[in-house]
Order: sequence, then structure tokens, then C-alpha cells
Amino acid sequence: MTLGFGLLHLSLAWLLAPHSSRVTTLSPHAVDFAIIAIYFAMVIGIGVYLKKYTKSGKDFFLAGREMTAWVAGLSFVSANLGALELMGWAGSAYQYGILAAHWYWMGAIPAMLFLAIVMMPFYYISKTHSVPGYLQLRYGQATSGLSAVCFAVMTLLMSGVDMFAMALVMKVMLGWNLNFSIWVSSITVGVYVTLGGLFSAIFNEVVQFFLIWFGALLIPILGLVEAGGWSGLVARIHQNFPQQDFTHLWRGLGHFTDNPMGIHWTGIVFGLGMTLSFGYWTTDFLVIQRVIAAKDIRAAKMAPVIGSFFKMAVPFIVILPGLLALSLLPYHLVPQSAVGSAPGLHSYNEVLPLMLARYCGPGLLGLGVTALIAGFMSGMAGNVSAFSTVWTYDLYRAFIRKGAPDSHYLSMGRWCTMTGVVLSIGAAYLVMQFASIMDYVQALFSFFIAPLFGTVLLGMLWKRITGWGAFWGLLAGTVSSVSMFTLVKLNPRTLALVALSTHAKAMAENMYRALWSWVLCVVVTVAVSYVTQPQPVESLQGLVYGQTELPSEGHLPLWQRPIFWAGVALLVFLFLQWVFW
Amino acid sequence: MDEKPKMNKQRGGGGSGPKIAVDLIDERPRKHHMLPVWFFIGLILLTYGIIIFWTGIYEISHPPATVLANLHAPIWWGGLLALIGALYILMYRPRRH
Repeated sequence: MTLGFGLLHLSLAWLLAPHSSRVTTLSPHAVDFAIIAIYFAMVIGIGVYLKKYTKSGKDFFLAGREMTAWVAGLSFVSANLGALELMGWAGSAYQYGILAAHWYWMGAIPAMLFLAIVMMPFYYISKTHSVPGYLQLRYGQATSGLSAVCFAVMTLLMSGVDMFAMALVMKVMLGWNLNFSIWVSSITVGVYVTLGGLFSAIFNEVVQFFLIWFGALLIPILGLVEAGGWSGLVARIHQNFPQQDFTHLWRGLGHFTDNPMGIHWTGIVFGLGMTLSFGYWTTDFLVIQRVIAAKDIRAAKMAPVIGSFFKMAVPFIVILPGLLALSLLPYHLVPQSAVGSAPGLHSYNEVLPLMLARYCGPGLLGLGVTALIAGFMSGMAGNVSAFSTVWTYDLYRAFIRKGAPDSHYLSMGRWCTMTGVVLSIGAAYLVMQFASIMDYVQALFSFFIAPLFGTVLLGMLWKRITGWGAFWGLLAGTVSSVSMFTLVKLNPRTLALVALSTHAKAMAENMYRALWSWVLCVVVTVAVSYVTQPQPVESLQGLVYGQTELPSEGHLPLWQRPIFWAGVALLVFLFLQWVFW
Repeated sequence: MDEKPKMNKQRGGGGSGPKIAVDLIDERPRKHHMLPVWFFIGLILLTYGIIIFWTGIYEISHPPATVLANLHAPIWWGGLLALIGALYILMYRPRRH
């Protein structure tokens, strides 16, 4: 996942290390394999069932635009809940404590609510198929094409990275053959998405959402019982690590050196909270596609709001296991680099397998492993279905074959899905050969997403922004991000320029790089727009604030209004910041 | 290319300016009777719940080497899964129209 950039690398470094003899290998029984097999049968079965309802491009690419707010909202969150994210953030929680929860709260909730209330109406009313589709309507083909090409390439590469990483997880944890994991899981995803399109992807993502929760929830429940509740957990952590503060969100963020993450609160608020997370949650088509498929504008606005409540709860199954490991494990976990220094050491990244093995016997273990597989598949299905839509509508239809019948694009979408799976498998094997590629693939994705947020947001809110302004702004923001990344790689001392401190660590660098690239994108977009011809106002109807009449919600009772629930979500978010301050 | 938004009709919203072609709330009946996703969730939760519950029963006489095995988590967790699954199946089962 984009926001996990830096962290995924951490997990992969662990997975790639030659440590199979000392890692926590789980011992599944026949009943666990039965549970995993039933899961595969179910997801394929859903795809087969939904094929008969997938008769047009609208069905295949937009799930008929008939998803309810709940289905779209759960799918929206599920597409983001990857297996490596679960494992990686659990490890980060052990390493950084509750600071890791910023990626689920500050790094998600404001952006999701902003998407719901401010941006979603424009995506929905414009009746676009995709984010590049919106850019095409608003700015023309140059910006749309740039965005579509970047998204398509990055999505396939990310899909390959995720696939390879998941196969490694299965190999390390269960001893499964790498090729078997890659082919079986990706062909399964390919089959059900090809059959039922976005219908199938969304249905399975909602099923996967339930399995992830029911598979992972038992660890924090039993862990809290063992620790003696939250107060017992905090007391044990203080006892085990008397010099460190693992249970406060904001107290240690006054200076780069006061917290284990090496980050300042400005990086969390402005870099993560206001740039990177807004870029991801409001412009990454992988998640936006789930909301565009909603049945009406109220459902489209409610879906991210519903998703935000569940996103706020995810730390319960991801961050809490890390804190429980700090509290309950009779030994300390160590950085990956220290694992080989003495026998019997375990790395941070083994938190989830360790806790799974601690509490889950036969049956429950199968459910836990199924949760990880479901997390992987939901992420991959999201990648593949989004790739298929962007290729078919924003590249193939826009640049290669215009005006073909709907059936042609439907057929292209199906072929493209399978092709996307095959290319992802190719990317997985490429990553297997050249592991260092992974760093750059994730970095490339993050280069693009922050400036894109500037481009989309300005386009929605300001009619004076022109197509050329958007194009040059997006290009400048992306190139500047690449340049900063390269500069720091070549000369680490320039980190002080990018991240404002020589003490800043990788995560802080990412936050500030995103912030500067967004600022540059906005400045260039505005400057170029002012020296180019404004777009005719009539061409902006339904696309820009002030030129779009939004349906009034005044006649709805309060509890049916998205703005009301967004307010409730915001209060819960603020309450969590206060409780864990 | 995507269709340009039309500004000529309105359903469910107020306002006196140009009208828009999207629904605030779409309550039109669906043209087909697709099983809701909740039914599939019910199916898989019930199946898993039964399997895990019976595994828990077996583990009473053959306890696994896990922490807090004395709480018999598979029995109540499996039971909970089965109960939620059965409820979802009952609520969202296919019906004749």
C-alpha cells in the first residue's frame, strides 16, 4: 500500500533474509488446510455466480453502479487492507509503539472524510469511470494520459511486489512452495475478476473484510485477557521497557530525537496527514473505484464515511498485537540486522505469526492464515480491476480505438484482467530476480500520488486552473519528488534539506518529500494557469465547484445525511487522539 | 472518454439553478435479483463456525499447546461465527417474489 511505503520494504527485507531456520514457522493441520481450501472455493464460486450479471461495460467496470453505501464502504477499506500491511504494521507497532497508529488515524481519517464530503460529489456527478477519466473531462488528454500511464504501470508493478511478498510470507510461515503460492493465488484472483469484473472484486472484498476481522480479532481479545486489560498492558510495557514511551501518540513528537520514529509532529500533520494521505485516499483509483460504483450520490458520500469508522478500528487488530507482544513476550524482538547475532532471536516483523502461534490452535490457525491470504487477494483484485478499467477506458479507448461498441470494451476488459494478472506474475518474478527493484517501485508510486492530489483538488475547486497548468504542475511535482529521492540517495547529507533535520529517518523523509512535491505542483499549476487561456465556463459544468449544483440534502433527516456521520467520525477521531495523546 | 455530465434533470434534490442528472438517493428497484453479498458472508461464516466449533469440542480432550487453551476459544469463537453466519443466511436467503 502506498502509505506503507518504507514499511513494506522492512517486511520484505525480513522475508528475503536467509532465516528460515529461526523464523516462526506455523504448523497447520488438516482442518486448517480445509478452511483455506473452502475460502478458495468460495471466492471462485462468487465469481462464477456473478458472471451472469456482468453483461455490459458498466457492469464490468463499475459494478453496474448499484453498490449500497455499506458494500462500497467495506470494499473501499478492504482493498487497502493487504496482508503485508497487517504484518508490517504489527511489526512497526512493536518497534515504534502506538505511534504506528498515526498511519490509520491521522494518515487516513481526515482524508477519507474530505473525500466523502468535498471531492466525491465531483467524481460522482461527472459520471467518470476513473480518476484519469475525471482528469480527461476537466483538463483534457495530456494530463489524463500522463496520469493513466503512471497509474497503470505502477499498479502492475505494485501488484507484482505484493504477490511476491505474499508468496514469501507463505513460504516462510507455512513452508509453501514460492511458485505454487504465486500461481494459485493470482490465477484465483484472475478468474474471479475476469468472470464478474468489479462486481466480483467488490463482493469478494467484502467477504475478505469479514474474514480478515474474524481471523485476526482473536489475537487482541485473548491478548488483552492475558495482559489484564489495557491498564495491565501499559503497566507491563513500562516494566519491560522502562526508558521508552510506547503508549502515547503525540507527546514524543516535539523533536526528531524524542521518538523512535525520528519524526517531528509537522511531518505527521502536514506530510502524512495533509499531503500523502490525501493523495492516497482521494486520488488513488484503486480505492476510488469502489466508491464510484455506489448506487447514488448519497451512497457514494456515505461509503468513505462508513469506511472511516472501520479504518479507525483497524489498529485494534494490527497495532494492538504489536503492543501486546511488547507486553507479553518473555523475550525482546530485535531489528532484522541483529537476528543473526545470537541464536533464538526473532525480528520485529514476526509479531503477527508469533502471536498467531501463541493463541491459535488448529482451526483458528487456518482462519488466521486465511485472513492473511484474503488480505493479499483483496489488494490484488483491487489492483487488477483498477488496471483493467484504466487501460480499457483511459488508454485503449482514448488513444487506440475510439467509438467501438460496448461489447468490445467489455471483452477488452476481460482480456485485460487476465493480461494484468500475467503481467503481475511477470513483475513478481522480476522482483524475485532483482530484489532492490522493490524499493524503487514503491518509491515511484509515492512520487506520483502527492502531486496528483494537488492537480485533482485544484481542478475541482478552482475554475481558473487550465489543462496546461495541470499538466505542467503534475509533471513538475512528480519530477521534483524523483529528484529529491535521488538527491538523498546520492548524498545522504541533503536529507537535512528535504526533511529539515539530519536526524530524520526514512519515514520522515517520505512525508516531507510528499509535502514539497505537492507544494511545487500547486505553485506551478497556478502559475502556468495564469499565463494560459482560461477554459470556457460551460465546459466545466458538473466538474468544478461553483459550476456544479450539488443535490440538496436539506430534506433528509439528520441521521441520513453524510455530513452528520462525517462529523461523528471526526469526533471519534479527535477522541482517540485525546485518549492516547 | 467519459460522458459529459448532463445538467437537465434532478431526482431527490432541491435548488433553483441548473439541474443535475444524478440521484441523491436511488430507490428504483433493481432489474435483477442478485443474491446480496451478505448471504455469501453468512455461508462462509457458518461453514467456518461449524468447523472451528467442532475442532474446539475435540480439543477438550486433546488440548493444543497454546496460551490460554483453557478458555476453549475455538468453541465460543466458532459458535459466534456460526451464529452470525446463520443469521445472515436467514436474513438474506433467496426468496420467491
